Amino acid sequence: MTAARKRDDVAAASALITLEGRLLDEKRFEAWLDLYTEDAVYWAPAAIDQPDPDNHVSLFYDDKPTMRLRVGRLRHPEIHVQTPASRTCRLISILEVGGDQGGDGYKAISNFILVEYRPGFEQRLYAGTYEHRLVRKGNDLKISWKKATLINCDAAFPAIALPF
Amino acid sequence: MAAIGTQELQSLVKPDRIHRRVFVDPAIFDLEMARIFGRMWIYVGHESQIRKPGDFLCTRIGREPVILSRHADGSVHVLHNRCAHRGSKVVTQECGNTKRFQCMYHGWTYHTDGRLAGLPMQAEEEKDGFDFSAPDFGMRPVARCQSHHGFVFANLSPSGPSLVEAMGEARHAFDEFVAAAPDGEVELAGGCHRYEYRGNWKHQLENLTDTYHTVATHASTVAPDGTQFKRRTGTKGTDVQFYDREKRPVILDVGVTVYPGGHSSTESLFPEGQSGGVWEEYRALLAARHGIERANELLTQKIHNLTLFPSFDLLVVQNAIRVILPIGVDRTEVRIYPVRLKGAPEAVFQEQVRYVNLTHSASSFVQSDDLEAFRRQQEGVESDAQEWCLATRGQKRERYDNRHVGHGDKTTEIGQRHQHQAWLDLMCAE
Repeated sequence: MTAARKRDDVAAASALITLEGRLLDEKRFEAWLDLYTEDAVYWAPAAIDQPDPDNHVSLFYDDKPTMRLRVGRLRHPEIHVQTPASRTCRLISILEVGGDQGGDGYKAISNFILVEYRPGFEQRLYAGTYEHRLVRKGNDLKISWKKATLINCDAAFPAIALPF
Repeated sequence: MAAIGTQELQSLVKPDRIHRRVFVDPAIFDLEMARIFGRMWIYVGHESQIRKPGDFLCTRIGREPVILSRHADGSVHVLHNRCAHRGSKVVTQECGNTKRFQCMYHGWTYHTDGRLAGLPMQAEEEKDGFDFSAPDFGMRPVARCQSHHGFVFANLSPSGPSLVEAMGEARHAFDEFVAAAPDGEVELAGGCHRYEYRGNWKHQLENLTDTYHTVATHASTVAPDGTQFKRRTGTKGTDVQFYDREKRPVILDVGVTVYPGGHSSTESLFPEGQSGGVWEEYRALLAARHGIERANELLTQKIHNLTLFPSFDLLVVQNAIRVILPIGVDRTEVRIYPVRLKGAPEAVFQEQVRYVNLTHSASSFVQSDDLEAFRRQQEGVESDAQEWCLATRGQKRERYDNRHVGHGDKTTEIGQRHQHQAWLDLMCAE
């Protein structure tokens, strides 16, 4: 890979992952869904070093239809666990971009800190690592796979309503 | 602890209501730890989690930290997680494998059955006449430990009914659950979901027998056509119908059965057995063992969940168990473990894992709104504006048979009333 191509990949991944964080923080969930391919997977393991999502429970293991259902529920007027709704703010720091997948995709690793405040509740803090698989679709870059591993993913959690 | 007398306890439970104090008073919680969690069979783990000699896991019985271990000879032990010497908690890892447990403070070591293995500078003390083989110098075993289909329950009290006696009539549903495994055995595999809430443990317990809340609490999971999100694969028995075409909330039709001892079960939300796809392969495996009639019977689940008072729940349609771990009067942890039916196709287990992610993880579509309900309930009962929580529904329509098994039809609160009565009986026993 040329240095220029690598720079482009880093810039494109950084822009996309930053945009994703902003869309989630701004609750623009439908636009968030559009960042994902139709065969995408969104995974948040429930154990450190969890080898796969099929044989072990996960906090999230959503295909695109399930992601849509989740967003639909977040828009439902009677989602009690978001009444009132949370406000979130996340800081994302890209660590590494690489692993060219036959010229049409690559992987990006980043760390994140997510702060959630829901009126009436104590402010909550999550931290962990994102792994994104990104694919080029024409002029677009899309997310085909995302894994969000919290440092405390195996802890007992109060209800979690929003994706990481 | 200020003693709470029998009369006072009796004044808190009426046939159709329970006093808010049982959810908020720390003295009541202390008494529950002594008289309920200190005397009943409490689930601690499954033998499949400690398969090899030296395997162990740590959990709690009420507030009591305990270790479930597999000793070198294959025997299963439940030990108080406390050093005999100066009282320190010995094991802090959640699970693992070890030859011996060693206390970090002075280095006393114990065999995995609790016997003292040795201690630094032992010889000096022995010269002074100490006999370290006395039970006082070991990690104390929990008074009783028995298992049913590999599910290990322990009891802090040396006396009282056996585990099977305590399950009583509820045992049959438990056995049916295990019979659905083509090999006739189950195991825990696939880790566990853990959630917690700021509320009393009985909010979760009562919710397990509450067939009335679904329409309101889980409104956000229902599609415009009246069905809930698709939970299962196959051609039939895959969806939960909340409303029929006439917009009648058919989900509320499910009944509740109660068994002596405070146990209860709710009817399945799936009127039809699951069929199609990998479920036919599974049916054939069951039929090969039991014949097709019995296989069909096992696949048509009649029970949604079976709740063993005070803290264990079998999620029959989801092949999972739920364990309630009270932390304090207003703090509770709950764990959900998928159960693998041995001999069933891998795809069946994997489907159950996906299903339980959607229904019971802290971030699930279903449980998250229940957690919201528990928290709001706690906030509500912390106010003394009104003394009582009502459980009046279906009182006139409930009926008991000659084995003292009771049944209530749609939206009944027979389960909660039954739990309250079991709670009162246990709390009043000196």
